Amino acid sequence: MKVYERLAEAFKAEGTKHIFGMMGDGNMYWMHALAKLGVTKFEVRHEGAGLGMADGFARVTRTPGVATATCGPGVSQLATALLTASRARSPLVAFVGEHPMGDDEYNQQLKVEIFAAACETGFVRVKTPDSVDDMVRKAFYRARVESRPIMLSAPMDVQQKPFDDDEPYVPSTQVLTRGLIMPNPAALDKAVEIISNSKKPVIIVGRGAKWANAGDAVKKLAERTGAVIATTLMAKTWLNEDEFHVGVSGTYGTRTSMKLFEESDCVIAVGASLNQFTTEHGYLYPNAKFVHLDTQTHVIMGNGRGADCYVQTDARTGVEALESALAKRNFKATGYRTGEVRERLANAWEDRTQFDLDPGTVDPRLVITALDDVIPDTISLNTGSGATAGFSNILFRKQRPNVLAGHFYGCIGQMLPAAMGAIVATGNKPLVLVDGDASVMMHLAEFETAVRYNQPLLVVVMNNEMLGAEYYKLDVHKMEAEQSCITTPDLGAVAVAFGGRGKLARSVEDVRKAAAEWVAKPGPMMIDVRISRSVIPLPYRRIHYGKDE
Amino acid sequence: MIEVNERIDVPAPPDEVWKILSNPRDVVDCVPGATLGEAHEDGTLDAAVVVKFGPAKVTFKAVVGMELDEATKTGQVSSKGKDNQGGTRFNAKMNFGVVDQPPGSAIDIKATVEITGRLASLVEGGAKLVVKYMTNEFSKRLAERVSTETAK
Repeated sequence: MKVYERLAEAFKAEGTKHIFGMMGDGNMYWMHALAKLGVTKFEVRHEGAGLGMADGFARVTRTPGVATATCGPGVSQLATALLTASRARSPLVAFVGEHPMGDDEYNQQLKVEIFAAACETGFVRVKTPDSVDDMVRKAFYRARVESRPIMLSAPMDVQQKPFDDDEPYVPSTQVLTRGLIMPNPAALDKAVEIISNSKKPVIIVGRGAKWANAGDAVKKLAERTGAVIATTLMAKTWLNEDEFHVGVSGTYGTRTSMKLFEESDCVIAVGASLNQFTTEHGYLYPNAKFVHLDTQTHVIMGNGRGADCYVQTDARTGVEALESALAKRNFKATGYRTGEVRERLANAWEDRTQFDLDPGTVDPRLVITALDDVIPDTISLNTGSGATAGFSNILFRKQRPNVLAGHFYGCIGQMLPAAMGAIVATGNKPLVLVDGDASVMMHLAEFETAVRYNQPLLVVVMNNEMLGAEYYKLDVHKMEAEQSCITTPDLGAVAVAFGGRGKLARSVEDVRKAAAEWVAKPGPMMIDVRISRSVIPLPYRRIHYGKDE
Repeated sequence: MIEVNERIDVPAPPDEVWKILSNPRDVVDCVPGATLGEAHEDGTLDAAVVVKFGPAKVTFKAVVGMELDEATKTGQVSSKGKDNQGGTRFNAKMNFGVVDQPPGSAIDIKATVEITGRLASLVEGGAKLVVKYMTNEFSKRLAERVSTETAK
């Protein structure tokens, strides 16, 4: 057996069923060996997109996604995707080849270790045949524990050396045992004290609460304390069956929710980092005390401070303990759960601002509400980043099996690959991606990958033929906003040319019809919706234009 | 850095306008959301301004200093401070002058406002528009005040 074959066996034993990447002489023997072991490889058109798919896979499964690139030139393509995955805290293992050890003049040489560090990626190198098992185990162990990308680098000459140990590989899951983190009683007492003295509490739930299945416990705590429930962007629409759910806390929030946050005297955060986006650097909650429940040792919030009471705990265990401690004190409050607040929330989602539409275009707000209506709640959703996220991240309201938002690392172009990885993660279940034109164009070639693997993927391109964020900023500064405009071809026709289905939509009816057609028969499809530049996304009206409507 | 360059027309002679402008309490009364606090021995004053950036209301606490030159009817107001959460600082300087413009006068205002810290990234271009709105509102209130005072 060669080292590359043992490497493949070890990956398979770690539970790898899919790998995402592009073949080259640094990883081809390993990929070949994995294919022979029955692992499915997703051959992509750009290594960074492959890693983005592994990232999307990991965000859904919470297990390490596996990406691969050859060596040097293939590896340096991973940069933006690695940083995005790192910020998303996605567990990943990126297997890469490396120039032969001792040949520093090798044409495709890259200082991989330094590169990985700059990309916030852990680094493990297979230096000798004897260390193969240890190094693979270490890479997967670190990916699981540190919840970030780990690069496993194997020099090409080492991969070809003989491996002669016939002991079975011991996967990282066998050396890693994890139990629930229980809340400290003193911290819990302090939390109870703060909460029982509050009149207008807000519970903010994040991904951590969702992953810990804390939903029912959170709703019970909300009932007892009279809290409204808000989410982070990453937990968007979760628990919105609760009638006092107010949507996202942050710039993607509604005006009504922001008023409630401003008046709030207590925030109970569960599995949410309370970063600068969720709290708008703390300015959304000027009058609140913070009770912060999270699994990490401690978290500094987006206002630069620690919570008034920080409780390190598993989300569900912590919330249940809090609820029962309040019950023991016979604490029960109406808080924010009043008829008046219910009334205020009834029209919270209405965006009353009128804009004159550019000819031949659609109001982007109506595109989102039409899609949310036509696409059943059994279908998952990915939203992109950039200006058009200002529509999708507010106006999509249905709960869906998976709702993933972009924004990690603030880059565009990462959500098409993530959507494709998310589809693989769910065993090929249909998914809709709604993203801007510049973002989709960046990795457009991967739509062909989606066609090759016949993925049930609908890409809705919110197409205003411009770099939206730049357009509105230039406009505010009274500069030539048109400089940010870039034309695109008919992307529906491009999708057809790639072997998928496609439509160009210039009305809400066009959007409804095309989306319904996809719902009836999900497969790789792209709808290019021409949206009006005149409709400014609500977050931009707030940030750039100083308005709150 | 936000820059303001304004000329406000007021229906009163320069001497009357100067009387109002040289009284810090009268001037602060014309700034939307501002309240004046204690006066210090060095002539500076405490002030607070509530500013609405989009849906977020932020309270800034400031120390205001004023230098006046009666002979040329010009003055300089400088104020700096931070918000009540301590995450954002601002530094504003305003030069003003009253000029004769029969039958009334005009007030020339040149100001710079610098916002640094957490809020800066949050408000981006919006801050400029908020300051512009506040300047317009200030001009309007000042003109109204001058009209009322001189009519007495």
